[in-house]
Amino acid sequence: MIAIAQAIVNGVLAGAALAVPAIAFTTIFAVLRFANFAVAGFATLGAYGGWLVNTRLGVPAVPALLGACVAGGAAAVIVDEAALKGLRRRIRPGEAALAPAIASVAATLLLENVARFLFGNDPQGYDLPVFRDWHIGALAVGPQQLADAAIALVAMTALFLFLGFTRAGRTMRAVADNPGLAALKGIDAARVGRIATFAAGALAGLGGMLIGFDTSLDPLLGFRVMLSVFAAAVVGGLGSIPGAVAGAFVVGLGEEMATLVVDPAYRTAVGFAAILIVLSLRPAGLFGERTA
Amino acid sequence: MKIGLTRRRALLAGLALPAFAPGLAEAAQSIPIGTLTPLTGAGGAYGPSMAKVAKAVVDEINAAGGVLGRRLALTSEDSETNPDAGVKAAHKLIDINHVVAICGTWASAVTTAVAPVCWQSKTMLFTVSGADSITLLPHHGYIIRTQPNSHLQAVSVADFMAARGIKSFYSLSVQSPFATSVYQQMGAELATKGGKALGDTIYDGSKTSFRTEVEKAVATKPELIFLNSYAPDLAILLRNIYQAGFSGPRFTPGYAATPKLIASLPKPVTDGLISYAPSPDPGSPGYKRVKQILGTEPDPYSAQIYDHVSLAALAMAQGKAATSQAIHDNVRAVGNPNGVAVTDAVAGLKAIAAGHTINYSGASGPCKFNAIGDILSSKFRFDLVRNGKSTLLTIS
Repeated sequence: MIAIAQAIVNGVLAGAALAVPAIAFTTIFAVLRFANFAVAGFATLGAYGGWLVNTRLGVPAVPALLGACVAGGAAAVIVDEAALKGLRRRIRPGEAALAPAIASVAATLLLENVARFLFGNDPQGYDLPVFRDWHIGALAVGPQQLADAAIALVAMTALFLFLGFTRAGRTMRAVADNPGLAALKGIDAARVGRIATFAAGALAGLGGMLIGFDTSLDPLLGFRVMLSVFAAAVVGGLGSIPGAVAGAFVVGLGEEMATLVVDPAYRTAVGFAAILIVLSLRPAGLFGERTA
Repeated sequence: MKIGLTRRRALLAGLALPAFAPGLAEAAQSIPIGTLTPLTGAGGAYGPSMAKVAKAVVDEINAAGGVLGRRLALTSEDSETNPDAGVKAAHKLIDINHVVAICGTWASAVTTAVAPVCWQSKTMLFTVSGADSITLLPHHGYIIRTQPNSHLQAVSVADFMAARGIKSFYSLSVQSPFATSVYQQMGAELATKGGKALGDTIYDGSKTSFRTEVEKAVATKPELIFLNSYAPDLAILLRNIYQAGFSGPRFTPGYAATPKLIASLPKPVTDGLISYAPSPDPGSPGYKRVKQILGTEPDPYSAQIYDHVSLAALAMAQGKAATSQAIHDNVRAVGNPNGVAVTDAVAGLKAIAAGHTINYSGASGPCKFNAIGDILSSKFRFDLVRNGKSTLLTIS
């Protein structure tokens, strides 16, 4: 029983870490209608941006998260303007957005190598103290993981407020819901696309830095979590932000609960089997209306 | 559609040919040799320096007149510490560059994937990978390994543990060809000295948290946790172990506990970490030369690739043929105990040209191999991390 409770705690915390980059991925899909795998690269560059602010400028780790947001957002806008936007324009209505999706895979490899060129292969760490776990009854909880989950929650709340209560957020939702109607109402889709791209890149960067807090920082940081991030967004329903959050928890919990019955080496496989079951029952994902 | 050679194209082709001709002539005369080191990925901390050392050895050999009067032409590829990328790069080295040998494969999973490509094309493969299973493959003599195999390493580590009074351990190992064998061999060796292996968990190295795996290990109350890891997953494991409240010794291979990784982690997390590594011979002239090439204390793999390139060159000279077969047939002959002692390729090539048999001993020590290509003996060094710095405990 304690093992199940511990797996749930671990799964929820793992899900919280995945949720932020998963929201980034799904936001781009909602507004620009393509799967931008370069989110992995934005997470990596964001993590390095935050690291520079934290270790080189001496800013404490939590405020340095802003550096990660700026670096991730800037990387996202540059990649989109330089490579992906042109490819998106050539897609005819009703056609699958394959070219920008594949180009985004190339972009993530490029960004990974930019990070390698600028910062090297060696792992780096944030200037952040480490704490022993808190024991609540028989359950162990890491203070850093709790803090990460709280930061993720704050970021998600900020995004909800932005989408719900600001003009830019409302136009973004309008474009996501019905781009044709939004255009008729005079909404500048290109501008909205840039805002969405920056916001998603900033979230990916933040997510990357939060992952870096518990691991170490190297050029493959984003790439390592990309499959789980993609899975979370698909399970939740591509394009649905609450779905991405739910999907992240399904993936996190699925992988952790799997360790109760099989060897941890197989937890990824069992986690993905759970995803297959969810998608078999709801092909559009938990909260989705569209399929990829 | 008309396809033909117009006069204009013929003229352009004729003008272009002389520009390429010297390159073609040189390519025909030179002896192609390749490196396939992890320039990126989990082994990325080692691959670039390995490639640098290989280039320096090739330059030295070429400056002294080459092998059998021909220059060595080095091509360095990146295995990305990834079997799939490694196989593609090996095909490129073999099918396009026509190398006589591939030197420096690092990760056991990469070497295992690349090995069949090599032996099927009768190309020599020199590796620094440790998994026992590698030299047990049906490679027909086309693999030479300068890294002591897992068995030699496991026995050495277990003996060290026993000497420090450790009676029990739990193993957390990344998915790899050596995960189970190292655990079993260490357990068996420790059992002969009254100790006990409490269990092992094999984990997926691509994850960002190993809390569940660590909780499972700590629950067995081990005196020591053995972390058979690579650097990125070791960073997470060390954090998770500290967070779980375990303060006993942790033991890990030296290739995972890189100085940069230790520097990147908070000091309480790394304090008391012991790493082990096959040790090059720090007193040898070859080791000093590698140190000079890199401008820093060499890692074991850079020392070993110094020997890979040297052995390939010497074996070709010994066999009087610039072929992979000559390396295959003569790589053991250049370590003849009755021959003239040499410590670098240039001196060895001169001795062979003068008609001597040679006994090559390089940067990683004596290069003597058994019938399946395993090195026969090796020293091991053990380092302890204290206050964020790794210091030598002993070389045994």
